[in-house]
Amino acid sequence: MTSLYLTEADELQIKMAQGAKPGEGGQLPGHKVDEWIGKVRHSTPGVGLISPPPHHDIYSIEDLAQLIFDLKNANRSARINVKLVSKAGVGTIAAGVAKAKADVILISGHDGGTGASPMSSIRHAGLPWELGLAETHQTLVKNKLRSRVTVQADGQMKTGRDIAIAALLGAEEWGVATAALVVEGCILMRKCHLNTCPVGVATQDPELRKRFNGDPEHVVNFFKFLTEELREIMADLGFRTIEEMVGQAEFLEVKEDNLANNFKLKGLDLSPILYREPADSSVGLYKQEEQDHGLAGVLDWKLLAAAQPALEAKTPVVAEFPVINTDRTIGAILSNEITKKYRGEGLPDGTIHFKFKGTAGQSFGAFNTCGVTLELEGGANDYFGKGLSGARLVVYPDKTATFTPEENSIIGNVAFYGATGGEAFIRGVAGERFCVRNSGVTVVVEGIGDHGCEYMTGGRAVILGGTGRNFGAGMSGGIAYVWDVAGDFAQNCNPEMIDLDPLGDEDADELRSLVQQHLELTGSSVAKFVLSDFESEVGRFVKVFPRDYKKALAGKAAKVAAE
Amino acid sequence: MGKPTGFLENTRQLPAKEAVENRLQHYGEFVQQYSAADLNKQASRCMDCGIPFCHNGCPLGNIIPEFNDAVYRGKFDEAYEILASTNNFPEFTGRICPAPCESACVLGINQPPVAIEEIERHIVEIAFERGYVQAKQHIVRTGKKVAVVGSGPAGLAAAAQLNSAGHSVTVFERDDAPGGLLRYGIPDFKLEKSVVDRRIRLMEEEGIVFRCNAEVGKNVPVGDLLREFHAIVLAGGSTIPRDLTVPGRELDGVHFAMDFLKQQNKRVGGKSTLINPYQPLSTDIVATGKHVVVIGGGDTGSDCVGTSNRQGAASVTQLELMPTPPMERTPNMPWPTYPMVYKTTTSHEEGCERQFAILTKAFLGDENGKLRALQVVDIQWTGAKDGRPASFAEVPGSEREIPCELALLAMGFLYPQKEGMLDQLGVETTGVGNVRASERTYQTTISKVFAAGDMRRGQSLVVWAISEGRECARKVDEYLMGSSLLETKDAALQFTI
Ligand SMILES: Cc1cc2nc3c(=O)[nH]c(=O)nc-3n(C[C@H](O)[C@H](O)[C@H](O)COP(=O)(O)OP(=O)(O)OC[C@H]3O[C@@H](n4cnc5c(N)ncnc54)[C@H](O)[C@@H]3O)c2cc1C
Ligand code: SF4
Repeated sequence: MTSLYLTEADELQIKMAQGAKPGEGGQLPGHKVDEWIGKVRHSTPGVGLISPPPHHDIYSIEDLAQLIFDLKNANRSARINVKLVSKAGVGTIAAGVAKAKADVILISGHDGGTGASPMSSIRHAGLPWELGLAETHQTLVKNKLRSRVTVQADGQMKTGRDIAIAALLGAEEWGVATAALVVEGCILMRKCHLNTCPVGVATQDPELRKRFNGDPEHVVNFFKFLTEELREIMADLGFRTIEEMVGQAEFLEVKEDNLANNFKLKGLDLSPILYREPADSSVGLYKQEEQDHGLAGVLDWKLLAAAQPALEAKTPVVAEFPVINTDRTIGAILSNEITKKYRGEGLPDGTIHFKFKGTAGQSFGAFNTCGVTLELEGGANDYFGKGLSGARLVVYPDKTATFTPEENSIIGNVAFYGATGGEAFIRGVAGERFCVRNSGVTVVVEGIGDHGCEYMTGGRAVILGGTGRNFGAGMSGGIAYVWDVAGDFAQNCNPEMIDLDPLGDEDADELRSLVQQHLELTGSSVAKFVLSDFESEVGRFVKVFPRDYKKALAGKAAKVAAE
Repeated sequence: MGKPTGFLENTRQLPAKEAVENRLQHYGEFVQQYSAADLNKQASRCMDCGIPFCHNGCPLGNIIPEFNDAVYRGKFDEAYEILASTNNFPEFTGRICPAPCESACVLGINQPPVAIEEIERHIVEIAFERGYVQAKQHIVRTGKKVAVVGSGPAGLAAAAQLNSAGHSVTVFERDDAPGGLLRYGIPDFKLEKSVVDRRIRLMEEEGIVFRCNAEVGKNVPVGDLLREFHAIVLAGGSTIPRDLTVPGRELDGVHFAMDFLKQQNKRVGGKSTLINPYQPLSTDIVATGKHVVVIGGGDTGSDCVGTSNRQGAASVTQLELMPTPPMERTPNMPWPTYPMVYKTTTSHEEGCERQFAILTKAFLGDENGKLRALQVVDIQWTGAKDGRPASFAEVPGSEREIPCELALLAMGFLYPQKEGMLDQLGVETTGVGNVRASERTYQTTISKVFAAGDMRRGQSLVVWAISEGRECARKVDEYLMGSSLLETKDAALQFTI
């Protein structure tokens, strides 16, 4: 996610789970990742894309609340939507999500999803949306949270009747995907993963895409009929608006005959789904009030004021601010404003240089864009540089601190998660899950915890210190240079997708210049030591080179040579 | 699907056909075989669709992607087994089916469809060649006796299925040889009769008894059947042709297409054209040296065209009442329906003038009562609804004569013959005149009497006849035994909840 991508959005969805493959992310097999997809997704063409099943930045509802806050900072006008799978207990989760300040909650049923869902996922598909939706609505009403969020439902909704039922069970918005796709010409080939869709819907092959003959008018027509049917049902039931209809489950009736005459349905008790949570007139049954996202008093407004000359005329600005750990997501609003005006390009390097002193809160520098340099004297919490998208972050301990920086943590867990560009220099040790799914940031750090560079697809990580275990799991792109002083680095690696190689000449040059910068920006004594005898120290560095990436680079080189 | 990208690499190609001037010299089949490599290429085009619409397009529910895959892998025994599990006679449908499966083929949405029918023909011919097609041995007999009346594709399919379920089957056929329209309707150049004989021999080996020259209701009393058999399947076809009662109909030279076609098939089979067990003919109908006009634009008409050309007609003209159909699908006939588009058959390729939107007003004769011309008029269709013209008016001043010494009426068939068997049995018929029996039960108003094929559904296709025969056999088996293990298309629906 770049700052531009977020800025452009009307709605940002956090896919905690999806109905057809809960607990797993979208999957794009390697042969479908062409140049174009690689560019859009910030990854290496030819390398399969498996969106990380667990969100590495979300281990609790508080983490989710933080991400919602981050996204809201990165784009104040977008609705933040959290997608949940229909399952027993989803109501409780939804209540938590509402408290975490999501604007929209989507309950996703089991039978949506694409033909590309792998067998292993299909076995764990969710429940019908009716079950999850009913539970969600009832729980939200019971906790007086319903009026703060919009509830959506999806999963093979095809008719006005489906939508009417969803509305009565508590959803005011609905997702219709497969049906619309079919109207456009999808013929349920179940070949989405093979890149051979013969009607040009789910393929990257330009020849096949030419065969697409869908017509937008057909989709318009489809939705016209869909809504017309819905209107007819509403008229039958006596509702003027959807709002009147939401959650009025008593208008649903069980077809007792169907239950009685079917051996599988016999004895089924649907009353918990049709139960209506008692609520007096003060409790809203649909979205009526906006969430308080707590943006009013954030530090960024001060940054924004200080940055006015830069925003207006690209005039360089320098300023200093004290920070404390309740100052979260620093720089995201500022970057959002820069992006609105200067698009993906941002500002020229070094236009904005803000210095902070103290301990920054979570998500320092999240989604910060080009032209912004944030220098922090002190330390920071989790999600440092999350989604960094072009900015430079520099952090070193308080000048008066007496501890040894390279032996102490200076930033928290999950730093540079999903970062796409920029650079960072960290005078000290970072926590776990460092650079997970980094696709473009160049970073120098003096030690990290477990699961470093997991699912990384691009960028450079220079680690002037030890690592935790499971380094490089699922890493398909980018390079890490690790200073293996103790000689035990290999034991800490997950070797499934990476090679550990010695550095070549080009690598050594790149490394030297990065360490040099690190020294200049942070005054690191470790950097100084490495540079003092670089010719021999370079021998102690290991190059972590993902095999897929190696293959892709070799392919590219061969192509260039052929031309 | 052996090859995911096969459909991108290979296009549809049909096997070569003998050149027109050569094939007109004989009555044999003229479509050649694929080379092994070409067959493999054609099979590789199948995409093994998530929803194989071809299954549904095929009235038999043939399991098409699976046999395509087996062919691609060169496993012809497996391919034949899959094919034979849903189709008793792929050697017939592989040759003369209009292939609704191909109309439904997903690839056909934007490309030429998979050559399913040719693949089918190759599977069965290769299977015969290699000896995979063998009469079933050791059938456990149930002791039940079933009579099948009519030996067209419906009767044959019903007989084959019922026999394999263990019942003792006797097929009654009023003609001198079994096969129904396969034998005495469809010309040899489309379906050589050795192909029919080959299948009949296998069925006899399996224990089915064929009684030819045996017309039920005439020389075989209906009462005998009802008394001697535990169940009866009526598969007598839809045999009464639509007539054109305009002035001059009685002239010498105006004939029903079937009389003409049947004589030629007999001639090819080395039999007398005038001896016919149930309906003697007094003259030989030949097209040699004549201006022939075929009235009716369907399959039968096209067979008349091919036969006339082989006999050496001076000219062949085909008239059709309806306007020229569109060349491509219109929004009213979207994929995967069977489209009513302009169709050029192999017989048309051999030479024929086709005229559309023409009404025949009269047959004109000479002083000897012999046909000399047709009086026709152009018509204008109006009131098109859903793409189908609703009514027509004559175009003033367009009246003219078409010289003609032989006019062949090929305007379809109305209903089965009532006189004789149906009357004597007293089974109920529908409004149009077909035998009443629902598609769910195939049972007529007499409980032990069933009906299938054109006799039940009206004139149709060989593939439908086979399908009806099979489904009907399943119902007969259920009727006789209480339950059935015979294959059926709606086995899923049988699962009672
Ligand atoms: C000229 C022509 C060409 C055709 N071409 C094609 C084609 O290319 N492709 C295609 O799919 N379809 C074609 N058809 C249609 C197809 O042949 C028929 O739909 C199909 O044969 C019907 O099968 P059936 O078994 O129901 O009846 P039939 O094939 O008509 O068989 C009925 C049999 O029952 C016998 N019979 C009737 N009454 C009695 C009785 N009382 N006692 C004993 N026997 C009796 C008849 O003699 C006949 O042999 C064509 C039809 C014609 C006329
Ligand atoms: S529809 Fe066509 S391509 Fe698809 S499975 Fe059937 S024959 Fe193959």
